[in-house]
Amino acid sequence: MILEALIAFTFLAALVVLLAPDAWAGRLAFALSAVPFAGSLYAWSQFDGAGNALTGGTIAFESQFEWIEVGGRSVSWFVGLDGISLPLVVLTTFLVPLAIVSAWTPIDTRQSQFYGLMLFMEANLLGVFTALDFFLWFVFWEAVLVPMYFLIGVWGGPRRKYAAIKFFVYTNAASLLMFIGFMSLVFALGDSVSSFALPEITAAIANGGLGEWFGIAPGTVALGAFLAMFAGFAVKVPVVPVHTWLPDAHVEAPTPVSVLLAGVLLKMGTYALLRYNFTMLPNQASALAIPIAAIAVISVIYGAMLALAQKDLKRIVAYSSVSSMGYVILGLVVFTEYGVGGATFQMVAHGLISGLMFMAVGVVYNATHTRMVGDMAGMADRMPITVGILVAGAFGYMGLPLMAGFAGEFFIFVGAFGAPSLPYAPAFTALAMFGIVIVAGYLLSAMQKTLFGPFRLETDYEVGRAPVHDVAPLAVLLAAIIVLGVAPDVFFEMIRDAAIPVVEGVSADV
Amino acid sequence: MVNAFAYVPAVVLLPFVSFLVALGAGRYLPKGGAFGGIAATAGSFLLSVWVAATVAGGRAYNETVYTWAGGDQFELTFGLLVDPLSALMLVIVTLVALLVHVFSLGYMNDEGETGLPRYYAGLGLFTASMLGFVVADNLLMAFMFFELVGLCSYLLIGFHFREPGPPSAAKKAFLVTRFGDYFFLVGVVAVFATFGTAAFAGDGSFPALAEAALEGSADVWTPGGLELGTWLTVVGLLVLGGVVGKSAQFPLHTWLPDAMEGPTPVSALIHAATMVAAGVYLVARMYGFYALTPTTLGVIAFIGGFTALFAATMGVVKDELKQVLAYSTISQYGYMMLALGAGGYVAAVFHLTTHAFFKALLFLGAGSVIIAMHHNEDMWDMGGLKSKLPVTYYTFLAGSLALAGIFPFAGFWSKDEVLYEALVHGLNDPLLLGGYLMGLLAVPVTAFYTFRMVFLTFHGDPRTETARDPEPVRWNVKGPLMVLGTLAVGTGLINMVPVQKVFGLEGIDYLHRWLDNEWGGIAGLSSHHYADIGPYSSGYLVGGETGTVLVGAAVSLGLALAGLGLAWRFYNVASPTEHTAALGGIKDVLYNNYYLDELQVWIAYRTADIAGGADTFDQGIIDGVVNGISSVSLAGGGRIRRIQTGVVSEYAAMLTLGLIALLVVLGVGGGWFL
Amino acid sequence: MVPPEWYLLLAAGVFCIGLFGVLTRNDALYFLMSVELMMNAANINFVAFALYYGDLTGQVFALFVIALAAAEVAIGIGIILVLYRNFGDIDVTVPTEMRW
Repeated sequence: MILEALIAFTFLAALVVLLAPDAWAGRLAFALSAVPFAGSLYAWSQFDGAGNALTGGTIAFESQFEWIEVGGRSVSWFVGLDGISLPLVVLTTFLVPLAIVSAWTPIDTRQSQFYGLMLFMEANLLGVFTALDFFLWFVFWEAVLVPMYFLIGVWGGPRRKYAAIKFFVYTNAASLLMFIGFMSLVFALGDSVSSFALPEITAAIANGGLGEWFGIAPGTVALGAFLAMFAGFAVKVPVVPVHTWLPDAHVEAPTPVSVLLAGVLLKMGTYALLRYNFTMLPNQASALAIPIAAIAVISVIYGAMLALAQKDLKRIVAYSSVSSMGYVILGLVVFTEYGVGGATFQMVAHGLISGLMFMAVGVVYNATHTRMVGDMAGMADRMPITVGILVAGAFGYMGLPLMAGFAGEFFIFVGAFGAPSLPYAPAFTALAMFGIVIVAGYLLSAMQKTLFGPFRLETDYEVGRAPVHDVAPLAVLLAAIIVLGVAPDVFFEMIRDAAIPVVEGVSADV
Repeated sequence: MVNAFAYVPAVVLLPFVSFLVALGAGRYLPKGGAFGGIAATAGSFLLSVWVAATVAGGRAYNETVYTWAGGDQFELTFGLLVDPLSALMLVIVTLVALLVHVFSLGYMNDEGETGLPRYYAGLGLFTASMLGFVVADNLLMAFMFFELVGLCSYLLIGFHFREPGPPSAAKKAFLVTRFGDYFFLVGVVAVFATFGTAAFAGDGSFPALAEAALEGSADVWTPGGLELGTWLTVVGLLVLGGVVGKSAQFPLHTWLPDAMEGPTPVSALIHAATMVAAGVYLVARMYGFYALTPTTLGVIAFIGGFTALFAATMGVVKDELKQVLAYSTISQYGYMMLALGAGGYVAAVFHLTTHAFFKALLFLGAGSVIIAMHHNEDMWDMGGLKSKLPVTYYTFLAGSLALAGIFPFAGFWSKDEVLYEALVHGLNDPLLLGGYLMGLLAVPVTAFYTFRMVFLTFHGDPRTETARDPEPVRWNVKGPLMVLGTLAVGTGLINMVPVQKVFGLEGIDYLHRWLDNEWGGIAGLSSHHYADIGPYSSGYLVGGETGTVLVGAAVSLGLALAGLGLAWRFYNVASPTEHTAALGGIKDVLYNNYYLDELQVWIAYRTADIAGGADTFDQGIIDGVVNGISSVSLAGGGRIRRIQTGVVSEYAAMLTLGLIALLVVLGVGGGWFL
Repeated sequence: MVPPEWYLLLAAGVFCIGLFGVLTRNDALYFLMSVELMMNAANINFVAFALYYGDLTGQVFALFVIALAAAEVAIGIGIILVLYRNFGDIDVTVPTEMRW
């Protein structure tokens, strides 16, 4: 019942904060958000899952209740954790309190609503990562968009309405596509499934339960469903060419929202890809390995090249997220232990690192009120600690060893290079790896221009040291990044355990 | 019995602790945390000596200590590999690091620099990373510490971050080496994919597996059915990319001269004695692999020989003390690469050792001169410092003689052996012979620029007010100089192969015996083994082995003396002039480093242009399509909503018309009117 | 007995008069009256068919419609009063606030 308690508490906390006075909503929200984090740590300590939740592994904290019945198929409240979802749950509950603290400085209107929405979003995110029933999952999945829409649209920058609507419509349209894809799969399964529970559906597909649907052959249905779901999730990830909502949303979103957007929301896309496309339909994924790997490589290189051209620090980090997510796609499609495991690890690692980068850029912005590269120089002189952490975070982004990003990327590379199921794997991998040079290029030159050299600032603000509550979350994140980089096995072991069944799902004859 | 190997982690961790201390509490400590660094490196040095003594006692160590990430495919681990090579390197690194820490007291603290905790933290982290790299037992761990070394280099080059130059140089250093490291990382991944392990030593190590696979007794993965030998060559060349970047070999050498923006002790530690050595050390570390791929060896030798000559020519025209030293560093690492490529494993390690000492000496000597000159590095503003700075002068001279390869200083012995190896193996291999000839040509050039530097700095009349009245330096500067001066004179004693061969004195080639596991070591990691599996056979000039030794030594010494003499003639006068007019247009080319920096800047700008183009494409086409879809729906909606006039009568009319239309449609469809 | 076609023709005629009124008049009161006419056309149909089939259900419905029409007039007059108060006129083409 711990997952129910976690989700219910977070919803309740959102309500409480929403009704609290603005003056101390931020502090209250932080205190309340610490509880889910503690809860997720407790869940981690009690974690007894084994294998992958979808392929018949032992699900930790499994709980299932009949809910409603639709068209002869039952919808249930069905939650549980495995080695893939637990790290993401921990990541979510870890990032939200830090994002809340980082909001204390920049958010100065309608605080109680802001923090209430943050917590509401957290509750839904937890639902997304724990739900094992499609219907339940879909409810949470869609519900995440609502607080995000308001968080960008109300507290955002000058073009916030454009960005919020673009984000909402784009991802919602994608959800529709994904929904159609999944539903065609369910209907094609016909009587071989009696519920929307993901493990049951996965098993039914693996056992050849797909039948004809409106005269369409099962293989075609599966392929069509795969493509529809891939397209739907690709928007969320996002991969090139459906990425353009991301920079706009990031630039307009306030710092703490950017942190969650990059840190957790993007992972919803890759998590769903892993669950639905790569676990349920591994053979289709494997058959489409070359185009998917090509998309991944293009995302990596093209995203990095776009980041190189940007002048706005947030846009730089936003585009580099596109680039980093490309690695995740590559890791998934190769179907090796290190590839799939590394992709999942990279989700967590990138969540922490991009969170740190957005937060650090936000702290600089709080002081300077500009994010443009040309508007400032020599910030290291005025904000030594913030800049120090920003530099460390940037090196983490570049994949410096003993930081989390390197572990994720290296796992993916080492898993992808010799992957048997992907033709031309070495070439794809080597091409994608060139991203580590470009990322160093744009981050180093942006840092050189803004942080070092003689101090100069174009805006009329007095720049002093950042307050402790701005810097503390940065330090905590950095520490987490280093811990994961030095000892990736804290997560990687369980991730691997859950990833191996996914790899084994590819049947040899395809 | 207390086991020295149990303390190997401490060798690495002590400087790391000093990093933490300096970072966390440096500003509360006297001297900004310097003493912590000195104590840590001194401790590491003593432990290293102990470890080396244990290795000499016949034992070696190869253990996995930490599983970074486990897996069924392969485990990614950290381990310690202590054999004669790494023990020697440990001693060199810790000794130079210790001396540099002491020197920093004079160069940084006494000069009133700010940000000292950051400086000492950087030095500590650098030393720890380098030591971690040295003891790494597998390629992945080596890569990880290799990268950390690059980070420290970035932090220390950019130490004076408030000025515009250093951050730019730091960026360049990291980017250029990162470009090399990209190939290295691909190589690491390829090694894992091919062999399933990246261990350096043991039966299951990748060099051993590669050897077995070439013999046909083991099966390894190759991509797309590629022929094994070709694939191993590709892997070797990929890893070599990192080496070329870190050891500043052509064409990735451009970062090193710029890196002189960093404080001088940093230049001594990082850009001369240790970090740049990392590349060469890596090749030596996995020499059992490289020896299997003749093409790679040929490439290494050729790159090395070319870089030796190429960098030396640029050193001839530089005006600043540290710039000359920077180019000489590049050139000297070229020699080491030449030796490695030529199958001269011991020669390379020997030159690595002597170079570490004499180049650290020269940089620290330059640092001493820079203190004296109030941070003016232009040699044309110096002159006549010989009498004002006697300790600096004589130690610097010793280092210069070693660098120029003058008998009997350390550099002579090691450079001679490098050239000898290239010669005897090159007589059967034209590519190698080309490398040898370039290396030989670089000898007089080296001697020339070295002594041009010595004469301009220390001889003649003082050319500025500062040079007439230089600032004195203290014990903390002189001490390290004297230690290193002694080593620069005497290190040659560890490996006097020519003497052995000519006079038949058996057993004075200590380094050969050391690296041949004569006192102990790990099977498969000995110079003999490398020679056995290597592709080279020796050829001799007239007079067999002895004759070749003598001819080779005489030629290189003669050329060195010629270069020295020329420098003497031009610059050892009261008021020297540039004498570069004779070079004509070549001078500009040399002075601008063959315009390679311009080339790299050009590449950077073109990349930025491409990025700009991609951005325009992204905003215009891709996002344009997205916005286009939204505009089309909005505009379409705008048209259709015009029906909604708000006039109730019109709604009613529409209702009626709709009803009629429906009736007509149903009627036609239902056949009522037929 | 009068055949049902005649009733239906009558009802259709009354309905069309009502519809004509609704479509051509701008005055809200005429509007309301026209709507009444249309409803009564429906009533005629109800009653006519009730007679034709000998079933009282149609007559019951006619009563319902009459009650409904009364209620509708009450609301309709209310709306007209509000219209007058807000726009100073009872011309239905003037209030176009609902547009877009």
